[in-house]
Parts: sequence; C-alpha cells; structure tokens
Amino acid sequence: MKMKLRLAMWFSVLSVLSMVLASCAAPTPAVVVQTQVVVQTQMVPQVQTQVVEKTVVVPQVQTQVVQVTAPPQPTQVTKPYDGVQLSMASMTDQYIQAFRWLLPYFAQQTGIVISIDELGYVDLRQKLVADFVAHTAQYDLMTTDIVWSGEFAANKNTVDLTDLIARDKAEIQPDDILPVMWTEGEYQGRQFAFPLGGYANVLNYRKDLFEAAGLQPPTTQEEMLADAQKLTDAGKGVYGIALLGAGSAGAQDFMVFVQQHGGTILGADGKPKVNTPENVKTLEYFGSLFKYAPPGNADYWWDQRETAFKQGKVAMMEGWSISRNDYEDPNISQVVGKADITKAPVAQGMQPKYGFGGWGIAINADSDKKKQEAAWIFIKWLASPEVQKEWVLHRGPPLRTSTMQDPAIVKALPWMPKLLESFQNGDGNYRPRIPQYSIIEDALGTYVNSFLVGKDTAQSALDKAQAQIEKNWK
Amino acid sequence: MGLNNQLTRTYRRFMMGDGVYLWLLLPLLAFVALIALYPLAFSFGISLFEYRLTDPNQTKTFVGLGNYLKAFADPSIQGSLQATFAFVISTVVVEIAFGLGLALLLSAENFVSQFIRSFLLLPMALPPLVIGLVWKALYNVDFGVIAYYAKLIGWDMGHGALATPGWALPAVVLVDVWEWTPLIMFIFLAGLKSLPTEPYEAARVDGASRWQSFIYLTLPLLRPTLLVALLLRTMQSFKAFDIIYATTAGGPGLETTVLNYQIYKVGLVFFDMGYASALANILLFIVGLLSVIYVMVLERQQL
Repeated sequence: MKMKLRLAMWFSVLSVLSMVLASCAAPTPAVVVQTQVVVQTQMVPQVQTQVVEKTVVVPQVQTQVVQVTAPPQPTQVTKPYDGVQLSMASMTDQYIQAFRWLLPYFAQQTGIVISIDELGYVDLRQKLVADFVAHTAQYDLMTTDIVWSGEFAANKNTVDLTDLIARDKAEIQPDDILPVMWTEGEYQGRQFAFPLGGYANVLNYRKDLFEAAGLQPPTTQEEMLADAQKLTDAGKGVYGIALLGAGSAGAQDFMVFVQQHGGTILGADGKPKVNTPENVKTLEYFGSLFKYAPPGNADYWWDQRETAFKQGKVAMMEGWSISRNDYEDPNISQVVGKADITKAPVAQGMQPKYGFGGWGIAINADSDKKKQEAAWIFIKWLASPEVQKEWVLHRGPPLRTSTMQDPAIVKALPWMPKLLESFQNGDGNYRPRIPQYSIIEDALGTYVNSFLVGKDTAQSALDKAQAQIEKNWK
Repeated sequence: MGLNNQLTRTYRRFMMGDGVYLWLLLPLLAFVALIALYPLAFSFGISLFEYRLTDPNQTKTFVGLGNYLKAFADPSIQGSLQATFAFVISTVVVEIAFGLGLALLLSAENFVSQFIRSFLLLPMALPPLVIGLVWKALYNVDFGVIAYYAKLIGWDMGHGALATPGWALPAVVLVDVWEWTPLIMFIFLAGLKSLPTEPYEAARVDGASRWQSFIYLTLPLLRPTLLVALLLRTMQSFKAFDIIYATTAGGPGLETTVLNYQIYKVGLVFFDMGYASALANILLFIVGLLSVIYVMVLERQQL
C-alpha cells in the first residue's frame, strides 16, 4: 500500500517536473526561426521599391528577429530601458501596418517591447477616455486624432511634450516638420502629442473616365459639381462622386466642404456658429453633389466611400491621402492604374487651403516615469529621418518634408510631391480642435444626414444642429 | 467516535435552529447586493449630479432631480422614446405571432421538424453586433445583395432602406425579428410540450374542431408561457442597442435613435454621466413598470 502511494507521489512529482522543463525548453525553436528569417530580411529593401501592400505581411513573422538590416542602429549602445514593456492603443488605420513592421526592430535596438491594441475610431476614443478618467494607465502610448487635441490637452490626459521637444531639438530637427503637422496634438501653444504624420484632403479621380469624357480634373468646387453631373451614368452604375453621409463621417465631410467654401464652424467669439447663411449655402451645395452620387450615399461611412471608389463606381472622391496606396493594390481595388490624385478643389476665387488631418502619438500622463521616458525614446526613434522612410513605405502617413522629397520615396510613391503641396497649404483647424469638438460633430452628424435624406431643409437642419450644440455646450 | 457524535449534534442544532436559512441565503444576498443593488444605488446617486467625465476640473455639482426634469423637456429624448416604443411594440408583436406560429408548425417530433428547429437556433447563436453588420451589408443599396436582386426584378430601392425616412425603423425591426423569433418559438415549444393531454381528449369527445381546441384550450393554457415570452422580449427590446449601433447608428436623422442608443451617446460619446444615469434610470423605471403590469394582468386572467 505504502509502496504504491510512494510510487504515485514520485510519478506526479516527475510529471510536474517534466512539464516545467518542457516549458523552459519551448524557446528553442525560435533559434531556428531566427536563422531562417535573416535570409528574408535581406530581400526586404528590393521588395519595397514597388507597391508596398504585399511586403507588409512578411515582417509579422519576424517579431523575435535578432539581426535586421532595414532601419539603422540607434546611437545608444547600452540599453537603459531594456525590458520595459509599453502598451499602445492605436487606430486601425493604414499606419497600423507600419507599426507592426517597425516595433520588432525597435524592441531589438532598445530592449523596449511595445504591444499594440488595435482599435476602431469610436472604440479607441472611448477606451482612452475611460483609461484617462479612471487613471488606470492601461495604455502608455496612444495615437490621437487631431480633433481630440484640445480635449486631451485641456484635461491634461497626455504628457506635455513641449519642453522635451525643445530639449531634444537637435535630434528631432523640428524644422524638417511642416508647421501644419504640429497642429496635431497642439493646444494653446503647447504640444500634448507628437505628430505621427499628416493626412491631406485630396481629390481622387479616375483618369480613364475623365479622358473618355474629354475633361480635366476640376480645380474649383463649381467645376467639380459640373463634372460630377457629366460623369454620372446611372444606367451603367457609374456616378460622379462619392461622399460621406452618415453620422460623424457625414459631419466631417460637411466640415471639409465648409472649409472649401470659405466658411467656418466657429464664430468670431470662438463659440460654434454652424447655421450661418454661408454654411446653409454650402450644405445645399453638398446636397446637390449627392444627386450625382451612388443612390445609397447618404448612408456611407468612410469604408463605404472607399469601397465605392475602389469598385469603380464613382469618378471622383475627396478623401484622405492615407488611402492612396490602396487603389493600386489589385487584391482590394478594381481601379489599379486608373486613379490619380490632385489638390482638392476650393470655391471660385478662394485662396487655396486644404483640409488637413492626421494623428498624433501621445504619452499617458498617468504612466510611471520610466515608461514615459521609454515612450519618448520610441516617439523620437519613430520620427527620426531614417525610420520615417520605412514608416512611409509601410503605409505610415508622411511627417518630414525631407522624406516626402526623398528620391527613393518619390519613386515608390509618386504622389508624394502633390501631397507636400497640399500640406504646405494645409488647414488643420477646419474641424475645431477644441475640447467640445465631439458635441459639434454629433449634432452635425445627425442633422446633415437628416437634410440628406430629405427630413430637413438645409436651413432647418443647421438651425437644429446649432440648437443642439448650444444645449450640450459646457 | 464521541467527538464525531458531538460534532453531528452541534451541526444539527445549528442547521435546525431558527434563522438558519438566513445563513444559507447570505451568499446569494451578498451576490445580489454586489452586482445589482450597489450599481443601481450608485447610478441613482450620480444621476443627481451634473457630472461630466471629460470635464477638466472633474467637478460634481449637485442638481437634485434636475437631470430627470431636463430629460422630460428634451425633444431628442421625446423623439427617442417614440422610436423606442415603436421598435418595442413592433418587434414584440411580430415575434410573438411568428414564434407561436412556428412553434405550432414545428412541434411534431419528426425528423424534418427537428432538423429545421436546429437550424433556427443559428440566428440566436450569433452576436447581435455581427448580425447588425451583416444586415447592414445586405441592405446596402450600392453593394448589397438585396438591392442587387431587387434590381434584377426591376425594383428600384431608391436610397436604400437604412437611408430612407419611414423605412429605416421597419428595416431594423426585421433584423431583430430575424434574430429573436426562434427564441420565442423555443419558449412556446416548451410550453406546448408541457400541456396536459386530457382536456384535448375531452374536447375531441365533445366534437370540438382543431381550431376550436386551439382557441379555447391551447391559447388559454399557454398563457403562462406567453407571459414569459412577452416579459423577456419586451425587456430585451427596450434594451436594444447593438443592432441599432451596427446598422443605422440612430439614423437617418434621429429616426432609429432608441432610448438605449441615446443613453450610449450621452454617456459614452459626451461622457455626461449624470444625465446618462438619469436616462438609464428612466428606462429602468419604464421596463420595471411594464413588467409589473404584465404580471398583474396575466395573473389576474389566470385566476
């Protein structure tokens, strides 16, 4: 009896031991992976000169890579932050692919490991606000939309980077970053997020359809409406233009048109005044464009607008430059080689000014000191000219003027010079970057849509939006 | 042995004594207090304050019942209440009717019924958010399947159901009906299976037709089941959020902004927690009141 018991005991001890040993031994296969991977990385630079979409998939395997060739080694040899773990909340925009590509290299060079939580636009803001309000410091780094600049800054949710930028000026070379880029995360002269890269509002158009119709891409809003009408052929399922109509997307698109018609959302006193006669006229113009848009356009969010363009349903689409690469990817686009971009048209006689958007990257004010320092190292690393080239080639939005002018980059992404032009006349304030922005966006989202589906006139829609904004204004 | 006996005696005295049931209930009471009463009290507490999470100074100003009074004067709340009642009434009525019909149709224990029944479980097994997204894609007039086939048979769907005033709510109701009718069917099936057979035999002897035995026997006997189905669906329907969020996001305009979606907007878009809590409590009150009325009406009829 006792013998049996002892045997059973030894057996269980041994099995536990073997499990422990097995788990310790687990990393061994990684060594094999590493040797294979080195071969792959050497191929990378060649692949990058062409369309970038395909190459992005490859590096995901390389999370544990030791020796890489792409981004150069940083200056530091010692790794004071080795082993620091950071978590980052990022919007699932195209640039997420660049993060996935670059983070392993950063971990390799500094020992700082950053994990990403990839979130949609609405979820990201909710999670961030919850994290900030409860001071849980769940995220140390976060990508922040330009329109959240005021809110997060006023609440001191993110670290004020102004002094750090001044301190590390030599490293950052702020003059290589256009002034409009610094509107991302700027509030009352202080920088509460570092610019991640700019989105330019551009006009995407179909070269083939314009050529067939004997038209030139429009340079004014008036021409754009006329062209939209000419290019609409509902029988063939082709429409002049795709816009945004639903919810916050519709609100943002309307604000783009307000800016392009010389209007403003805020009055002279800094308070919202959306129902001005000019804005009512712009909304009517916006509505008339919908006559030449796909029938379901009033219900479009960003993704449906992109789909309409990629499926070849529309001849024109104003949109963020970040999507430009998508149209050349045969896996998701039916307009490969047929699309081009030009500057977004403004109303006749107006000084050219283009909608500017994009994201900043911010550090949580609640994170502990060491994590904040590590996060700042990451931000500087990401913004460095060498890493920026990789960033842009892997779908990150451009930040530095030098990157946009780099011959190798221009060769791979030929539309870069046009983007630079749009950025130089970019207006980062056409959507008010104030703490109460979401109130404006919500009211406009509801009532612009209400106008588009025929429930309100332009005047009554904007009157109601104004009333709702005033009611919710704090 | 002696020790063992003593222990048993102590245990018995403890168990048999008065008030022992309280000890046994304690874990449950603690659980209810923790997950139901505390949050309820908390939400009532903050509904008395002007409290916005994104306020830089994090001030909490006591406003008494101000948030509740504000809600009753708020036109967007009145609009969302209308949308909510329209949504609840149409979903509950249609689902009960279809659910009962399907239950009667599929109550036979043969292979075909069992096969169809197991397939009808599928919509319930999917998360409502996924269902909403799938239906949104189906409804889309430019890329969706429904519009594609409608076009083939020469039916122009205009701007699409979700972007046409007057059509968006029925479109969302249809999604809800598609998802939840099977649940009602299963509730009624369970009810049908538990019916006694004697009254039917007596009715047959008395020469009642099948229709008569359905009207005078099945329906009255199913009343407790109907109560369960009504209560369950009404409460769930009042809480509808995910389907609306995924398909219309409250649009066009405010047409499908049901109260729960409005609460979400106030609470998690504007982070106006005081007002959102007040609205949530109003919703809770409405649902609670309706439940009490249901129970009272149906219980009285049964007696």
